[in-house]
Amino acid sequence: MPGILVYASIFCDAVSMPTREMLGMARTIAAKTGEPVSAALLGSGISSLTQSLVEAGADSVYVCDNDKLGEFHANVYLKVLADIAATVNPRIIIFPGETAAMELAPRLAHRLKGGLVTDCIGFEARDDAVVFTKPVYGSKALARMRIASPTALVTVRPRTQEPFGPDAARKGAVVNVQAAIDDVRPETLTVERVEEEVVECTLEAANVVVSGGRGMKDAESFQQLRELAALLNGAVGATRVAVDQGMVPPSCQIGLTGKIVAPEVYFAVGISGASQHIAGMSGSKYIVAINSDPDAPIFSISNVGVVDDYRNVLPTLIEELRKALAK
Amino acid sequence: MHIVVCIKQIVDPEIPSADFKVDFKAKRAVQDQGEPVLNPYDDNAIEVALQLKDRDKDIKVTALTVGGETSQKVLRRALAMGCDEAIWLKDPSFETLDSAGTAAVIARGIRQAGVADLILCGRQAGDWDMGQVGALLAEELRIACIPLAYNVEKKGDTLLVKRETDNGMAVLEVGIPVLLNITNSSSNLPRYPSVKGVLMAGRKQIPTFSARDLSIDSEISNLIVVEELTLPSYDRHVVFMEGEDGPEKAVNLAAHLIKMNLLK
Repeated sequence: MPGILVYASIFCDAVSMPTREMLGMARTIAAKTGEPVSAALLGSGISSLTQSLVEAGADSVYVCDNDKLGEFHANVYLKVLADIAATVNPRIIIFPGETAAMELAPRLAHRLKGGLVTDCIGFEARDDAVVFTKPVYGSKALARMRIASPTALVTVRPRTQEPFGPDAARKGAVVNVQAAIDDVRPETLTVERVEEEVVECTLEAANVVVSGGRGMKDAESFQQLRELAALLNGAVGATRVAVDQGMVPPSCQIGLTGKIVAPEVYFAVGISGASQHIAGMSGSKYIVAINSDPDAPIFSISNVGVVDDYRNVLPTLIEELRKALAK
Repeated sequence: MHIVVCIKQIVDPEIPSADFKVDFKAKRAVQDQGEPVLNPYDDNAIEVALQLKDRDKDIKVTALTVGGETSQKVLRRALAMGCDEAIWLKDPSFETLDSAGTAAVIARGIRQAGVADLILCGRQAGDWDMGQVGALLAEELRIACIPLAYNVEKKGDTLLVKRETDNGMAVLEVGIPVLLNITNSSSNLPRYPSVKGVLMAGRKQIPTFSARDLSIDSEISNLIVVEELTLPSYDRHVVFMEGEDGPEKAVNLAAHLIKMNLLK
């Protein structure tokens, strides 16, 4: 019986939201094909999470709970994952499209001689195969791709799939996997780690995002964006150009190769609207664009636009909103 | 130390959506729209290699590409920026390869280049945005691989690699050989080729290797089949805020946003 294997990622000691979305996607495929859905759970001290994976849609959970998996090392994880894949022999392996998958998915694909489609945002489960939709050419086009190998691997963009359940009544099998990793040494040694302070809210979870781009003058001019974001309990984002020029740290980058956001309201300030940036924010419910160029492509995907230099607009906007929101 | 930078020529990613043309039959972008360019992340990768070379003249940097007739241009650019050598893997059968096939071909090309201690790839190419050739290549060569790297320093026999993480950065120590997938950062903004560099690059011999030269006897079959390529549509209609000047437009925008009940 072919099956679907989902790689489970952990966030804040719980099953991550993207993992729940991947299980939702797997259940949708399984509803058509009737094949079983498994989850692979790797880490240290994580055995307690198996039931929540079952409740989120897994029929069985392959768990490898081992001290040596406490810190993420792709080559160590790969060995365990390849062993689980050899046992399950799935037709499709789904990864949440997170940083870890950038390493794990292609390297596992190589070991299993399977094809991999990355950054998938949609799928169609046909009788003969699953066809995956993925943005290409900087999101200027969409490709529908079929994987010709017996094992198909896919990384899926977070927040593009509906999670399943959770259904507390669901029952599933838990399989403990022995880690055969005694002779697998981590490829790297972590010398230093700098984690940015998590401000009021993270970019991905923010209801309001205020972003700046090439049109911003310098790092200081982002202060106005921070002020507007703070007023609206939002977060500050940026385009790749603003990051490259050192105006904001890379963690603020929104776009194809940055964070993908879909807030209630998105303010695009001094952003022309390159497709690579739009890829990271086009899911926003309401888009406000402020740009001095009336022909900027950003306006074509915005709900409301202001054609002017942001420096003439933002001070009054902040003042007016502060009054209206009585803050 | 020998560094190999894998680079790719692509359709200019700066072409705006409104002007972007797709060849629906060939299921790819129309190839001759605008001047093809060096993939931007590969430009960052060349810069990372050259920064190492700036500090240690004994380092040799080779740029390598897989591509058709026009892709010689990106190799010339890499040489003009300061790379020492270039390698061109060129064969009609290479032009339709998927990521796995490309990685297999590059692995053979790298063996032609001799011993490679450090291999750099851009994190992804701005055409198919797959972002997997680097990691596949590391597997082909059975070497370590670090994603999202942006800066490298030599430390004795090992390397100190700065990489982005989900919520910040990390410095990793890694032995050679290793493959790094390079992402953009303010520390690796690519340099421009100098006039002297351009002149030198123009005179340089670039060895080419065909499938036969690389002992690839049978055609590599693709694992990925593109069934269709379409153009996305955004269903929005913009309303512009009127006003005599910026502040007046701002007042109208604030009133509009409040009226729409969008802000809490």
